[in-house]
Amino acid sequence: MKRTQLRKVKDRFFTWLMRFFLVTAAALLGLILLGIAWRGVGALSWEMVSQSPQGGFYLGKGGGILNAIVGSLYLALGATTLASLIAIPVVLYMHVYARGGRLANNVRLTLDIMWGIPSIVYGAFGFSLMIFLGLRASLLAGIIALALVVLPILARTFDEIVSMAPRHLRETALALGTTRLEFLGVLLRQTAPGLLTAILLAFGRGIGDAASVLFTAGYTDNMPESLLRPVASLPLAVFFQLSTPFPEVQARAYASALVLTILVLAISLLAHFSMTRLGRHVIR
Amino acid sequence: MYALSIRQLNVWYDKQHVLKDITVDVPRRQITAIIGPSGCGKSTLLKSLNRLLDLNERVRVSGQVLFEGQNIYDPGTDVTDVRTRIGLLAQKPFPLPMSIFDNVAYGPRIHGLGNGHLAQIVTAQLQAVGLWEEVKDRLKAPATGLSGGQQQRLCLARTLAVAPEVLLCDESTASLDPISARGIEALLRGLREKYTLVLVTHDIEQARRLADHVVFMWLGELVEHGPAGPFFAQPEQKLTQAYLAREIG
Ligand SMILES: Nc1ncnc2c1ncn2[C@@H]1O[C@H](COP(=O)(O)OP(=O)(O)OP(=O)(O)O)[C@@H](O)[C@H]1O
Ligand SMILES: [Mg+2]
Repeated sequence: MKRTQLRKVKDRFFTWLMRFFLVTAAALLGLILLGIAWRGVGALSWEMVSQSPQGGFYLGKGGGILNAIVGSLYLALGATTLASLIAIPVVLYMHVYARGGRLANNVRLTLDIMWGIPSIVYGAFGFSLMIFLGLRASLLAGIIALALVVLPILARTFDEIVSMAPRHLRETALALGTTRLEFLGVLLRQTAPGLLTAILLAFGRGIGDAASVLFTAGYTDNMPESLLRPVASLPLAVFFQLSTPFPEVQARAYASALVLTILVLAISLLAHFSMTRLGRHVIR
Repeated sequence: MYALSIRQLNVWYDKQHVLKDITVDVPRRQITAIIGPSGCGKSTLLKSLNRLLDLNERVRVSGQVLFEGQNIYDPGTDVTDVRTRIGLLAQKPFPLPMSIFDNVAYGPRIHGLGNGHLAQIVTAQLQAVGLWEEVKDRLKAPATGLSGGQQQRLCLARTLAVAPEVLLCDESTASLDPISARGIEALLRGLREKYTLVLVTHDIEQARRLADHVVFMWLGELVEHGPAGPFFAQPEQKLTQAYLAREIG
């Protein structure tokens, strides 16, 4: 009698404790979003998102951050594309051809180590490579450095998703006389929604990374022109504006952060909706 | 006369010897049932017949499986071709992650069968397994939306659409409700005219109902085999008698 009561009290106590932390986590997210919106929404204007910086922008004069928005989109898009081109074949190879082998495990270990390396290290690596090759900061260099940052995220996330594919899928497909390459196609169909999630996760992580593009992509007030010219990026736009002593420029920094956040949110929502469509046939 | 001839087949999982010197023939266009208690190696024997065992890296095989006179374990064998000609229906229905239509069309597509008349093949196979009326209005819908029994019939249609010569079934009715199970059984019985069937079952009654030929396994060894009539009426081995009388197993 007493024992059952104690168990019930325990159960209730921990349920509430978990709920409390759940709410805390949600509240933190809400607080961050609200804080940025609160401080940034005032400075947010059509001019902000439709123009490049004019002369004296960092002193509080006219213009906007279109250069950084477009630059960031190019950087993140380029980096996730490049990383996908590497990650997807690597992961599929690990699961279809090198299944359960030493090679697969070594690749996994390598990716995990890469994941742990701070992005400033990739930036520094890219920078030294550029100097060695006699190149200047450019969109291309930024894409390459950023691709190194997102590659392990994309590959390991996709890897986990492929691991979760039902074991019978392989047997079923191969029993129909498919080659391994054809089985790979089936596997890709099964994991397509997860792959999209992995790509968007990488994109979201990539678009917000400042350290890797700081030296490699450089910064410019111009719109991106070519792969071999520097580009601006939103995280650095936030950084530069926030480090000025002028309150109106600092407010614009928050507006820029808001734009960045909205971009990431939009991508997440897009992922959510396209996933339900892509996931129609997935076997659970 | 024989579609498959198994000769001194031995299989090991790592160190565990799970099939011991199996030698038996599978008659063409008949139903051969493999029976025996759980863990005796029925599934292993079945999967050794179309080299699906290869998917397990820890497996080792010795001996021969002759399919139309050719040893499928010869180094030069085209494994894909073997699996195309010897189809498998698994225990649990497992649709591919695509629509109902595409599930059936998948095999013909990759094997380049039925160019231009794919829809006819799909229709014919779905009719053959009695699924057509139930799904003809939702061919584009995900296969996962079907019931268990429907899914298993879909899987049968998918396997048959590849036009195999031999059909292996591993307890293909075990996960279904009795009515669906009877439906699949009736289908399998009808297939014996065109295909060589090998089915694994631990349901003795099912073997009685379906089998022309019975193979009885015990702890990885083949105890007794022969035509169903004499096998069930007068089994020779003590072990078989005891198993059929449900004293062991
Ligand atoms: N993938 C595997 N790895 C290691 N051992 C296995 C594996 N599959 C089966 N075995 C072992 O091989 C033996 C035969 O297994 P098998 O699945 O062929 O038996 P079965 O007769 O089909 O049994 P059931 O009626 O339960 O399906 C068992 O002892 C089992 O533990
Ligand atoms: Mg089995």
